[in-house]
Amino acid sequence: MRKIILIMTIIGFILGSCSSVDDQRTETPGNPVGNNDDDPEVGTSGEWSIPIDQVLDGGPGKDGIPALENPDLVIAAGVDYLSDDDFVIGFKNGDDVRAYPHIILDWHEIINDKVGGVNLAVTYCPLTGTGIGWNRFLEGGITTFGVSGLLYNTNLIPYDRASDSNWSQILNESVNGNARGEQIDLLMLVETNWKTWKTMYPLSKVVSTDTGFSRTYGISPYGDYKTNNELFLFPVTPKDNRLPPKERVLTIVDGDDAKAYRFNSFSSSPIIRDTFKGKEHLLVGNEDFLLSFELEEDKAALEFEYIFDGSDIILADNEGNQWDIFGKAVSGPRSGEANSNAREPETLKPSSFFMAFWFSIPPFYTTEIY
Amino acid sequence: MSNNLGLPNEGKDIWVVGINYDYNNLNTLNAGADELDDDSRQRITNSILFALGYSFTDRLSMETLFTWVNQSRTIRQFGNEDFTETSGIGDAVFLLKYAFPEVLGRATVFNIGLGIKAPLGKSDLRSSQGIQLTADLQPGSGAWDELAWLSISKGFGFRPAATFSSSFTYRLTGKNKSYLNDTSTYEFGNVVQANVGYTDEFLLFNVILNPGLVVKYRNSRPDKIEGSDIPNTGGEWIFLRPELLLQLSPQIGIISRVEVPLYSYVDGTQLTPTLRFTAGMSFKLNTKKVNPINIGS
Repeated sequence: MRKIILIMTIIGFILGSCSSVDDQRTETPGNPVGNNDDDPEVGTSGEWSIPIDQVLDGGPGKDGIPALENPDLVIAAGVDYLSDDDFVIGFKNGDDVRAYPHIILDWHEIINDKVGGVNLAVTYCPLTGTGIGWNRFLEGGITTFGVSGLLYNTNLIPYDRASDSNWSQILNESVNGNARGEQIDLLMLVETNWKTWKTMYPLSKVVSTDTGFSRTYGISPYGDYKTNNELFLFPVTPKDNRLPPKERVLTIVDGDDAKAYRFNSFSSSPIIRDTFKGKEHLLVGNEDFLLSFELEEDKAALEFEYIFDGSDIILADNEGNQWDIFGKAVSGPRSGEANSNAREPETLKPSSFFMAFWFSIPPFYTTEIY
Repeated sequence: MSNNLGLPNEGKDIWVVGINYDYNNLNTLNAGADELDDDSRQRITNSILFALGYSFTDRLSMETLFTWVNQSRTIRQFGNEDFTETSGIGDAVFLLKYAFPEVLGRATVFNIGLGIKAPLGKSDLRSSQGIQLTADLQPGSGAWDELAWLSISKGFGFRPAATFSSSFTYRLTGKNKSYLNDTSTYEFGNVVQANVGYTDEFLLFNVILNPGLVVKYRNSRPDKIEGSDIPNTGGEWIFLRPELLLQLSPQIGIISRVEVPLYSYVDGTQLTPTLRFTAGMSFKLNTKKVNPINIGS
């Protein structure tokens, strides 16, 4: 009987042990990739401006998906790891043109880069299909972004290494930490396939697969997630069934509202002029890319024509200007040519837009469809 | 858990109590069968397993397995370390077994068992900031599983102390219907596990030693969320497991096992087991009788 009592005591001890969680982060002093601030209002501590019960641990942990910083680049002609259908996200600053392939972003989600004088973070969430360019110059100075390992409505939550604050990618806003409430400045990115990009920019630099990390680039870490409309790895609320969940759409965001544009809206005309929240937008699209510019001031009076022939020049207007895919006037009176009145090339202001899987937008914005 | 199932039927009215410590280190990142050069992620599971067996007759017995689980996830990247740890009661197994002696000739024992795994462990633990953790960091699964277990052992005529044994376990998993704040269902993949081993017996300093060598095969189907397969879950493994049982007395035994992977194939890219170690003790209570079925096996 004494033995039975002993056994039951052991069982009771085990069953009586409470469940517990411990989480902590240890940072190397002086390590530039990390937060050395003693402020307790950092990281996941402190208030969140989004419902914390909808913030989930994605599994890999903080920095378990390693963001890249100033990656090695190769020239487009030397790229043998991309097929024509692979998506890339392009950025241009002056003559410096760079492509950030999805097959690399799938494994790293954030690439911190410096292109000329622009401190760019290409943030990409494979689960929501959102590739958004962020200016890394914040109120406190220049930072880099890492992957927090957290998700909100299955969307990437980057953290900035200057303040350890967490940000919502789709909201483009800090949602936790010292920077909470701060908005990020968007930088225009062009998402298209590799064939289109390398034809437009044969001298483009491209992020190399020699990243310093051992990964199976070219094999998606999420299987058929991007095309399987039934597969969700994390909950999304609400689920809006107006379009197939994984359909890629261009989304213009303005305040709490968004407007989505489908590829098939451009099948009859590659140019759409549309008004959203009192602002006029010029949308340009074909089966390979969608873009949007906000027409301000005198540019609203221009009449545009689609002239894309494979090069980076996509538009002409009734003044005789030609515009490239990033909205820069490359010829004509607004291009800054020697015989024109303009001193610097004018640019069309990019709308606040990004590409996304349809399902990912309604949980964040009141969304209408064009 | 499957590693620790299969207490012997020691005879009518005999209790067997076992307590084991299990350490499982996953620090190898694989893509399919290829090992990637990346040791930045580490998962460690420490478990304490408390087994209690009782034999109703010389053939019919039951065993229960209670667990306490401590799991940690460590990311060492960019000179920083991110550490998350959960602890708590894990799920429990209840298994009813029946022994068929001599069905495959002399000195053989064939056992079958059916059981359940009950979701005693918590499956909704949150971080210190209230953020819900993923299923594989939770001490419990939140689901009722069904278990089928078979084992067979056979003594060899040329050496009565030597035993060939094998076992087979199938776990048909249930759904956690309240995953992630009741927003999803989660189902761990069904698991097949088979062991084939050889044990022998020696006497050393008045202690009976039973060294053994087991080859273990494990196949896990992908986990499912809302009925869809989750990428980077599931796989197939073959392990080699040397083990040593010390019979300190007819009532007390000490077991230790080391398990190393011989072959790992994972679906997608996953951490895969690097090393596993188990140590424990078992006690027989009320050993007035000895089960004639187990003699010689």
